[in-house]
Amino acid sequence: MILYLPTIHSDQDGYDSLAELAKATAKLIADRLELDFSRVSFLDANMAAPLGAVLAGIADRFNAVEIVNVPQMVERILRKNGFLTQFRYLPLDDNNRTTIPFKRLQLTDEGLFEDYLQRHLKGKGIPQMTEGLGKVFKQKLFEVFQNAVIHSESELGIFVCGQFFPQLQKLDLTIADAGIGIRDNVRRYFNDPKIASVPAIRWALQEGHTTKKGKQPGGLGLKFLHDFARLNKGRIHIVSRFGFYEFNAGRESFAKLENDFPGTTVTLEVNTADTSAYCLASEASRDGIF
Amino acid sequence: METPVIVRVFDIVGGPLCVSADDGQRVHDKIVPLLRDGKKVVLSFEQVETLISAFLNAAIGQLYGEFSEERIRELVSVRDMDKEDQAVLKRVVDNAKTYFKAPKEFDQAWKEELGDEE
Repeated sequence: MILYLPTIHSDQDGYDSLAELAKATAKLIADRLELDFSRVSFLDANMAAPLGAVLAGIADRFNAVEIVNVPQMVERILRKNGFLTQFRYLPLDDNNRTTIPFKRLQLTDEGLFEDYLQRHLKGKGIPQMTEGLGKVFKQKLFEVFQNAVIHSESELGIFVCGQFFPQLQKLDLTIADAGIGIRDNVRRYFNDPKIASVPAIRWALQEGHTTKKGKQPGGLGLKFLHDFARLNKGRIHIVSRFGFYEFNAGRESFAKLENDFPGTTVTLEVNTADTSAYCLASEASRDGIF
Repeated sequence: METPVIVRVFDIVGGPLCVSADDGQRVHDKIVPLLRDGKKVVLSFEQVETLISAFLNAAIGQLYGEFSEERIRELVSVRDMDKEDQAVLKRVVDNAKTYFKAPKEFDQAWKEELGDEE
């Protein structure tokens, strides 16, 4: 099978295109996919994470995946961040040190995720970030990672990738899984197979809402992510199955994708020039916690 | 008065990362027998660098399903925790109190809003 990938921006259309790729290849088994990049005039580097998740799903069905005709500029970005090296392209050194590489991790790899963040966030706007911001940013990324561990059931693991934009003073980091999506967790929780993706995301974003059924409370991770983006004037995308959510410039929006995007992807864009103090500490003193 | 037991989270988790619910569960399982015996527990977060809500939900949040608020307030305290992490813990504790008080009512109102089929 030969398919043409279009230009992929880190937005609703970009995710729709990836969901379409997943749909077009859904019945491909023990075959070959030639993904032609000749129509890709641009690809946001962080989108290598969800693209990697979709392609891993295709390869998992015993298909050989090949990427061909990559325009030079796109190839440079995707060789620098290591995405194309899994498709036998040679790596390219990132002289500008703005790349946050593509990496596939297993659900049990929290330690490797820590190494990844330590190694690749350093020097990418973090000196400008206050120490508090750097710490809180990392904490939020772990919240997202742990959400994937607890809820995704992704047998293919977790895919991460990012990009630092020094001129714009922003940093994008995307964490994608190839799991069952927020919708299926919410459906199970309510025992209702008709729940759609957008209301499922809307529900999951509320403080204290969790699909965990054990004795552990939950439902704070996404709320904390949202609070952080609001304070930081950053941006969030959450894409899960047919659902697309954006928080940007203090505004929330939801949309339905045309196709079923496999799993859940979360992108956090942090404003690295932010000098706000991230102390919600006035809310807590050690004696009043319990 | 009996000396409180200092529980070093770093030692139980085996490092500075408190980022998984499984590790939180291990901390929980270590402190529950102490609390059942009526011992005072001081959770020390010395050397802990990164701490997230999923860890704290498991380690501390679920105690509110097993012990009364009064009992927890009487027996559990924390130390060596920076202000940001204390704020996270406070949110976890408040959320746990709500969760165990009325988990069902929480959901019923939402169920009405879900249901547009794909």
